[in-house]
Amino acid sequence: MTPLPALVLLPVLGGAIAWLADRSRTRPEQPPPVAWLITLITLILETALLLAETFRQSPDPGPWLDHFSRPWIPPLGIDVRLDMDGLSLSLLWLTLILSLPCVLLATRQIRTRPGLFHFLFLATISGVTGTFLATDLFLFFFFWELMLVPMFVLILIWGHEDRHRAAMKFFLFTQGSGLLLLLSILGLAITHFRETGFLTFNYFTLAATPLSPALSMVLMLGFFIPFAVKLPVIPVHVWLPDAHTQAPTAASVLLAGILLKTGGYGMIRFNIMLFPEAAAHFAPVALSLGVAGILYGAWMSCQQNDIKRLIAYSSISHLGFVLTGIFSGSQAGMQGAIIQMLAHGLSTGALFLIAGSLQDRMHTRDMTRIGGLWATMPRLSGAGVFFAVASLGMPGLGNFAGEFLVLFATWRVSPPLAILAATGLVLAAIYALKLVNGIFLAPAAPAPSPTKDVPTPQIAILGSLMIFLVILGLYPRPFIAASAPSPPSVVTGKGEPNHAHP
Amino acid sequence: MLIHDLFLPLPLVVLPTGTMLLLLSITWHRSATRSFSLALLTLLLTLAFTHHRLTTFLHGGTTFFTEDLWADYTAALILLSSLCILGLSWRNIARDTDQPPDEYPLLLLLGTLGAVTMVFSTNYMSFFLGLEILSLSLTGLVAFRHHHIPAASEAAMKYLILSGFSSAILLFGIGLAYTATGSLHFAPPDPANNAIPGLPLAATIMILTGIFFKLSAVPFHMWMPDVMEGASVPVAAFIAIVPKIAVFSALIRYFGTGDLPPFLHGTLSAIIILTILGGNLLALRQTNLTRLLACSSIAHVGYLLMAFYSPGLIQSGAVAIYLIAYTTATLGAFAVISALATQEGTDGTNIADWKGQFTKHPLLASAMSLMLLSLAGIPPGIGFFAKFEIAATGVEHQRNLLLAVLVTGSIIGLYYYLNIIRVMLSPASFSSQTDNRRNNPELTALVFVLAIIVVVGGIFPAWLIRPVLPASASVNTAPPPDTTQETDSRTLPP
Repeated sequence: MTPLPALVLLPVLGGAIAWLADRSRTRPEQPPPVAWLITLITLILETALLLAETFRQSPDPGPWLDHFSRPWIPPLGIDVRLDMDGLSLSLLWLTLILSLPCVLLATRQIRTRPGLFHFLFLATISGVTGTFLATDLFLFFFFWELMLVPMFVLILIWGHEDRHRAAMKFFLFTQGSGLLLLLSILGLAITHFRETGFLTFNYFTLAATPLSPALSMVLMLGFFIPFAVKLPVIPVHVWLPDAHTQAPTAASVLLAGILLKTGGYGMIRFNIMLFPEAAAHFAPVALSLGVAGILYGAWMSCQQNDIKRLIAYSSISHLGFVLTGIFSGSQAGMQGAIIQMLAHGLSTGALFLIAGSLQDRMHTRDMTRIGGLWATMPRLSGAGVFFAVASLGMPGLGNFAGEFLVLFATWRVSPPLAILAATGLVLAAIYALKLVNGIFLAPAAPAPSPTKDVPTPQIAILGSLMIFLVILGLYPRPFIAASAPSPPSVVTGKGEPNHAHP
Repeated sequence: MLIHDLFLPLPLVVLPTGTMLLLLSITWHRSATRSFSLALLTLLLTLAFTHHRLTTFLHGGTTFFTEDLWADYTAALILLSSLCILGLSWRNIARDTDQPPDEYPLLLLLGTLGAVTMVFSTNYMSFFLGLEILSLSLTGLVAFRHHHIPAASEAAMKYLILSGFSSAILLFGIGLAYTATGSLHFAPPDPANNAIPGLPLAATIMILTGIFFKLSAVPFHMWMPDVMEGASVPVAAFIAIVPKIAVFSALIRYFGTGDLPPFLHGTLSAIIILTILGGNLLALRQTNLTRLLACSSIAHVGYLLMAFYSPGLIQSGAVAIYLIAYTTATLGAFAVISALATQEGTDGTNIADWKGQFTKHPLLASAMSLMLLSLAGIPPGIGFFAKFEIAATGVEHQRNLLLAVLVTGSIIGLYYYLNIIRVMLSPASFSSQTDNRRNNPELTALVFVLAIIVVVGGIFPAWLIRPVLPASASVNTAPPPDTTQETDSRTLPP
């Protein structure tokens, strides 16, 4: 029995229990709230499941690690089909590694309706997990849409001052572009139906659909746009700064650390794997968009005074590297993009956690009103400086490994673009140092400084994230090997993937 | 008159008998409770006999009525909706002490009778009779509002005039069709073998215009928001659901499920584009929840017409599931509105009054959000799958323009549905007085059942996709499976 469906369902079930437990309590209680405890237990169980899954013997030889399939809507050939390869496995680990600190550090002090908060938090994680595992295109779309609703409510209820606008913008952009994904999925499935006479949404079967170049390009673009909105790529990035800034800390971490990665994941899994030729034709445009994103994000990031907004724009810049790497057309670029996704998840997630705890203490995100924290909060400041420096691409840390590989791959395609992208690194140094200077090193600012530093256990949690980043930076080889995406083309003559018969 | 002219599906026997009994009981003794129970009983009995017929059906003869899976399916949907609406109005009926409102259940039964007649009819005459029974009783229902007489009368007048106007056009079209073919059989006249080539064309267009009026497709939609706003909440739900299902069912019966006549393609595309965009854009500016749902129902008619316009492999499943999705979610939304109506004054249809409902009534507000998300086409609601199927029919025929309109319309729709959720989530203003909501457990139970249907239907839609549409003449494939009884009962959880 494969644990894949359990991996998807466990968080949302745990969340439902947490919600019910919180509703049934009779009086206001002392922290920690019961919903928080249940959430923590759920995530620990999920980690145990994922550990078991990681060290489980693969049922059949081949690049795909595990497989699950049950019929769901037989008249339309839709199955509940989950498959795991190295890419999904590593992104699932990222999800868990980020959500645990989130729960430990940020969600404990939620006072208004903690049960609902934790339910929505875990439901988002379920949606993301499903997105990373689904290999039935309809199921993928189902999860893709499903994860938006809880995130929307999270921003709407627990967000900051301008949360309504931010939440609406987030939902309209991502859901609206999702409709294009729906049309492309349908287009692919129906083209396959016309060719072969049977209707299916199976990823592996559809990968073998013969497509004319023009149709292939149209469908590829239909897949690209929603992923580009999620990633985000610059003309369609406008939802991101608002959503990240206004979301509550835990939701910001989920958004930046994990939800954005579903865009990158989708590009690798669908754009590159399903339509390799069309993607190669489209690569120059995508590369330019990626480099433009790197420069634009970094430039905007330098202009910000709001801590969370600065980090949000830096995300656009970092994910420009991911886009560039994915479409560079080489193995190195793809590896770099994946490493960059993991490293960005860790470093940006940690930065949002730090920004959140600063806001809890200082009640402002304005850098001009914060300063000189090094004196009063040396431990938090130290962690902040570490992750800011990681974000600027310091050699030896994960972000550097990713960015270096991407630049290397881009240079082979187009040296001018590589030079421009490298300029983004200079800007990155400016905004990262601005962050460090403004908050931690500058003279004490008018806002009242907190007297107490964060307690040691919390720093230990941030420290574990640092260790992951250092390992990713110093010795990325095993991660590169383990997180490689598997091609869908392990298809036998009958149109069924050979691993589908356990 | 030959014996096969008398072919009668049993619902068309049970329903009028129940109506007659109700009339008799009213003349004998006026009692709201008794009328209500009689109406309830009649609807339940009719539902039980949906799949039965009085005489055997002879193919090929001229009959007034037919009975197949499509008719049974839509009739069952209509009857279930009427049942729910009767449940919604129960409190209003019971409270009205100054004047026993016996006519209300009677009019509701008559309206249902008209709708069911349309669903089963295969003859212009029976179709038109059904349509008129429905329209006339609707006029009465709309005006049936003791405390808001001016608004209700205005809405009823508006409906009466516009409905009469559209009936006149329809009747003229039917007359032309009879001239062209010499038959009252309910099918579009064939322009190919006719002496006057323009005649069948004009007839079809006029009949279609009448049908679009009743369906409230843009540009014939103007009456819909006004009438729904003027009517009471349960009647508004009735207008949004029952006539639409009936008229849509008749539309499919009329044109069949094969390819449409070529001269209609352009007109139909234009109507669909106008309806989807018009309905959604109108809904964007509404501040009244009933009006907003009226506009959104216009948009949903547009999506349904898109499935109607795309015959093929997926069409049947798409239509079946879309009708269910639209009906349950709309009914659910109106049920929540009724359940949250306050004791005195407004009936809670002003969107601004919905502030803070999540804190006051978290369960009902969550149910409302679920219904709205389902209408917007977001998982896990059943509307998600319904929209998926509609898009699939469009992709199958490569109707790129219509698909673009579908996407645009859905995004606009998303905005106004989400806006209601946003309002419900925002904190209540201080001016709103303490909660004086009537306690009505039966409405809460109804909302709960509908919410379960929406979620379960959204997660396991497989058993809702059935070949319910009548087989078209050109693609006369296998007849509907013989397990229809079982299918029907599974398709429509009571």
